[in-house]
Amino acid sequence: MTTLKLNNINKYYGEGSSRVHVLKNVNFTAKKGELNLVLGPSGSGKSTFLTIAGGLQTPSTGDVELEGKAVKSMSNKQRDAMRLNNIGFILQAYNLIPYLTVKEQFQLVNKVKKNNNLDESTFNKLLEKLGISDLINKYPGELSGGQNQRVAIARALYTQPDIVLADEPTAALDSERVAEVGKIFQTLAREQDTAVIVVTHDLRLIEFADNIYQIMDGQMTLNNEMKTA
Amino acid sequence: MFLSLKEIKKEKFRYGLIIGMIVLICYLIFILTSLAMGLAQENTDAIESWNAKSVVLDKDSNISLTQSLISKNEVKNTKLTSKEAYIGQASVVAKDAGKTKESAQFIGLDTNQFIAKKLKLTSGHNIKNDKQIVVDEKFQNDGYKLGSKIKFNSNDTKYTIVGFVKNAKLNVAPVVYGSLTTWKDLKNVKGDFVASAIVSKSSNYKAKNSQLKTYSTTTFINKLPGYSAQNSTFTFMIAFLMVISLIVIAVFLYILTIQKIQNYAVLRAQGIPAKTLVSATISQSVTLVISGLIIGIALTAVTAMALPAAVPMSFNVPILSAVSIGLVFTGLLGSLIPIKIILKVDPVSVIGG
Repeated sequence: MTTLKLNNINKYYGEGSSRVHVLKNVNFTAKKGELNLVLGPSGSGKSTFLTIAGGLQTPSTGDVELEGKAVKSMSNKQRDAMRLNNIGFILQAYNLIPYLTVKEQFQLVNKVKKNNNLDESTFNKLLEKLGISDLINKYPGELSGGQNQRVAIARALYTQPDIVLADEPTAALDSERVAEVGKIFQTLAREQDTAVIVVTHDLRLIEFADNIYQIMDGQMTLNNEMKTA
Repeated sequence: MFLSLKEIKKEKFRYGLIIGMIVLICYLIFILTSLAMGLAQENTDAIESWNAKSVVLDKDSNISLTQSLISKNEVKNTKLTSKEAYIGQASVVAKDAGKTKESAQFIGLDTNQFIAKKLKLTSGHNIKNDKQIVVDEKFQNDGYKLGSKIKFNSNDTKYTIVGFVKNAKLNVAPVVYGSLTTWKDLKNVKGDFVASAIVSKSSNYKAKNSQLKTYSTTTFINKLPGYSAQNSTFTFMIAFLMVISLIVIAVFLYILTIQKIQNYAVLRAQGIPAKTLVSATISQSVTLVISGLIIGIALTAVTAMALPAAVPMSFNVPILSAVSIGLVFTGLLGSLIPIKIILKVDPVSVIGG
């Protein structure tokens, strides 16, 4: 079932002679149960794609549909609710609040989203799988980059989102952890029927992906041949 | 509340400094307010103790007790009930060998009228003859005792202190209660003058003479020398301090909010509603101001206990409560200024390019 659909998306920044065409007629579909990889170098339009897919900004032209509902017809409040309930963001600069311990990052989620978060036993298993169980009372400032990244992944998965949007989630991880994260995303997509979209230039994640998109100069193409290459 | 308290807990030093600054602002406002009220009270203590509603003075006295003289002729058709009393005022310097000279306000009373009857003595007894006086406790603090004999100005007549009264001050000077006969001697007025004023517990009391005019106690107090000017000065000082504290608190909260924009952008990207962030900012401001307020009140109380009795400080709970509410409101107002920034936080800013 299609969860996220981007139809003929164009995005421009600036005006007149300084106008930049960042995304060019992008078409993208993410289905539940699949791990989608969007590969591209810096400046290719990956992050713009991610922010539009996540409803953080609107495209200049084209439509984004989430679960069959047009995002542009949603109010700001509805978009907030959509991001909180349906989307799990894993951001490049981590998505952790420096003055909350790891445990409190999740308590904050419980304060604003009271239902359908991970139950305690599944949550503990996730922390264990990510190797962060013993870091629960530490502040982000006391963790390494890789540990922060893994807490950020746990934080995004905690709300059991329909879609996970990850921006370079393995940037700070070693190969062993990359494989673990790849497996977590793969399991998440398949076992929890979630659409996972990972924007990255880390080729080590290819083996876990169901679909591989390449983005270059704002143009996106489906390139599943990369899996067998 | 969750976010705000957790942040304060993590950033103890930073928030400790902010609370410290609020403590100092509160402390300054409380001390100034208490001093202002203490001084105001020392101007009017005696008048307040009479529970008077109106004062009759000579209409040409410019509402000044010192300038007013009422003659027998002016009151010949005026009847004084149990609610009225004559008072005769004279400024004096009281002295006794080996003791501090006291600048005082002599108030001559008729012992059969309500002021003399209702004097709240802390020790001794009421005046029984023209050579006896009852004085404010300041005399006692300065070494005078019951039975001490004092002289006024250059007059050789000695008067015996037979009682002390608390909070009997007029125009910041301690009051000496004596007889109207003594007042006439001190004021050096002829026998046809009866008093400086008539004080009444009724607000509608009117003297039946065109030369006499009735004023409300409030008007009378406001016309006490220096009283209005002094109160206005303190009121303006406190008001300016409140405005300055508003600006200082607002600037601090603004800087704090700017420093947290990145975190707020992350939270907004995750779908945390803006109202959660706004309420965190407001609750944090209120928490900081209330914490500062409580410590400021405690500090003021300690200071008040340490200050000598001569320093006029008065703690009027309703007024200090109003000042406290004003400070919390100031903090609330200060926290509303950065709200526009919170509402406009762009979550896209935290997504790398």
